Amino acid sequence: MKKKKIKIQKNLRENLKLFLVIFFMFLFFVFISTKDVFAAKLYLEPSEGEYQSGETFLVEIKIDTEGECINAVEANLNFSSNILNVVDFSYGESILTLWVKTPIVDQGSGLVSFIGGIPGSYCGRISGDPGESNQLGKIIFRTSGLTINESEKNIAEVKFLDSSQVILSDKLGTKADLSTQGATFKILSKEGETKDEWREILEADNISPEPFKIEIHKDPQAFEGRYFLIFSTTDKQTGIDYYEVKEGEGNWEKTVSPYLLKDQSLQNVIKVRAVDKAGNEQIFEIIPSIIAKKPFPYQIIVFIVIALMVILMIIRWAIKKLRNKK
Amino acid sequence: MIKNSLFKKTFPLLLFIIFALFINKYNTFAANTQLHIQITPLVSCANGIREESEQCDGTDLGGQTCVSRGFVGGALSCNADCTFNTSNCTGGGGGGGGGGAPALETKVVIKGKAYPGSKVNILKDGKLDDIVKADTKADFKHESSGITPGIYTFGVWGEDKDNKRSITFTLTFQVNPNMITTVSGIFLPPTISTDKILVKKGETINILGQTAPKVEVDVHVLSSEIISTTMSDEIGAWLLPFNTESLEDGAHTTKARSKFNNQEQSGFGSLITFYVGEMTALSGDIRKQSDFNMDERINLTDFSIFLCWWKKSNQQFDLNKNGIVDLPDLSILLSYWTG
Repeated sequence: MKKKKIKIQKNLRENLKLFLVIFFMFLFFVFISTKDVFAAKLYLEPSEGEYQSGETFLVEIKIDTEGECINAVEANLNFSSNILNVVDFSYGESILTLWVKTPIVDQGSGLVSFIGGIPGSYCGRISGDPGESNQLGKIIFRTSGLTINESEKNIAEVKFLDSSQVILSDKLGTKADLSTQGATFKILSKEGETKDEWREILEADNISPEPFKIEIHKDPQAFEGRYFLIFSTTDKQTGIDYYEVKEGEGNWEKTVSPYLLKDQSLQNVIKVRAVDKAGNEQIFEIIPSIIAKKPFPYQIIVFIVIALMVILMIIRWAIKKLRNKK
Repeated sequence: MIKNSLFKKTFPLLLFIIFALFINKYNTFAANTQLHIQITPLVSCANGIREESEQCDGTDLGGQTCVSRGFVGGALSCNADCTFNTSNCTGGGGGGGGGGAPALETKVVIKGKAYPGSKVNILKDGKLDDIVKADTKADFKHESSGITPGIYTFGVWGEDKDNKRSITFTLTFQVNPNMITTVSGIFLPPTISTDKILVKKGETINILGQTAPKVEVDVHVLSSEIISTTMSDEIGAWLLPFNTESLEDGAHTTKARSKFNNQEQSGFGSLITFYVGEMTALSGDIRKQSDFNMDERINLTDFSIFLCWWKKSNQQFDLNKNGIVDLPDLSILLSYWTG
């Protein structure tokens, strides 16, 4: 009886030891798997779907920072250009506010790319936020209107390229360990009316881009010390489509910030127009400070004073000479 | 036999180390968890209570009748948009009217703690939107009215009594139309500096800064991961005399965070460097290097100058010194953003 009791106790002790080993091994592996892995994930939403031939649909590019804080993103995507056409790219709801490279689409090669940043940092969704607030941009695709065969040809893919990168806002420029998730869409033959979600969004947008300011700067490190213009704004609905600049009576010219001024004498009123994807615009103008407040002409004053002094000296000399003659 | 005995002796120690590492790992993420967004309707039309900007709400007509609205008789009622419905009023006609649906606006309120009497800079999408003053308890409040609904990034940074700047605290969230979006629980991390950059081993270095009044400040000296605690005074000033006896010769860093109570704490603020023994490889102040036009602000102007050197080689703009001006340099520039 006593022997049996000891055996049971021994078994219990052994089982407890085994349980503890498994438990702590689990903790150890969790620790190892997360140690110094500063991850982020770029993904597409929806990641799959079925669309009719000729239909227009939106694909959102999103980020999951997985608990880390980031502030710079470069996204390079590849899409099946034989089946999908990029109609537009919208960054109205993007968390990126500063753009090094606004979205560029190369339909021939099936590439979409952009580089942007967030002043400070972005650390993911805040508790209570009514939105997900993790969108980087939206690609608007239209499926090609070709007859679709029941073969592999009706599968369209959108995927992130390995050159995509996300940088942590750690003041050191550390690259996040990036994972990506693309999307696959099945294109069906046309049956009845096709939807155009993007057109509906454009028609609903009647709000102008956010008001903004333009500034004139001169810095030895930019444009060889010549005057340049800086401006930036956002459009909260469909996003900024383009900017235009007009110097004086010149024509409106499509451009980006920073813009090197043609008139370096700053004698003209400068206007900047921000236009969103729906065609709504916001114009701001600046009267260069030289026009508003001409500098005091010190050089002319000095010249006049010297000239007067010389004249006075000549007159004095002439009078003296005349008196001496008398 | 020896192996078994060694295992028995080291096993509990091994378990303890793993457990301690696990706990320590997850402790680092418990920063500013009290941050929260609350959405409240600016005017709650159809809640049965007539608010100031509403003509009526449900059966609450505010004492108005068809007669008081210029009609002879009939029954006055309320529309779904909280305006009067006079379709069942008789005689007279016209009169009254006016008003229409109340104009609703979208509002953002940002509340938190900085440093007593400090100037708090509020950035909206990277641009300076407002400067508000914190009160003697370090509380600040900012309101943005009439803004367009959408996704916004707000930034907050403060300047302490010695003009030392905090890090920029940023928040990205959606602003819904006709609602008040209140973001609360923003606690700016303490400012931090040292009275010396170079000390001899065994000398005391004073680590100091400012935070909210009468709160606990955790000061971490890295490389040895020494954590010391001190309290801030009535004006939020804090000081920690730190003996360097336990530190090796070389470069060391320090950072601090505030604890307001058991649940509420700030994140860590700036990381600063000091040297014990001899000064080695002085890294320089990257914040100052990022201020390309040297106007004491890092904003759109610096970003514009930076863009001129994108993908080029230039020591000044290559902030991580990898030989080219690229994405990591953009990240460093944006990390020091002041708007």
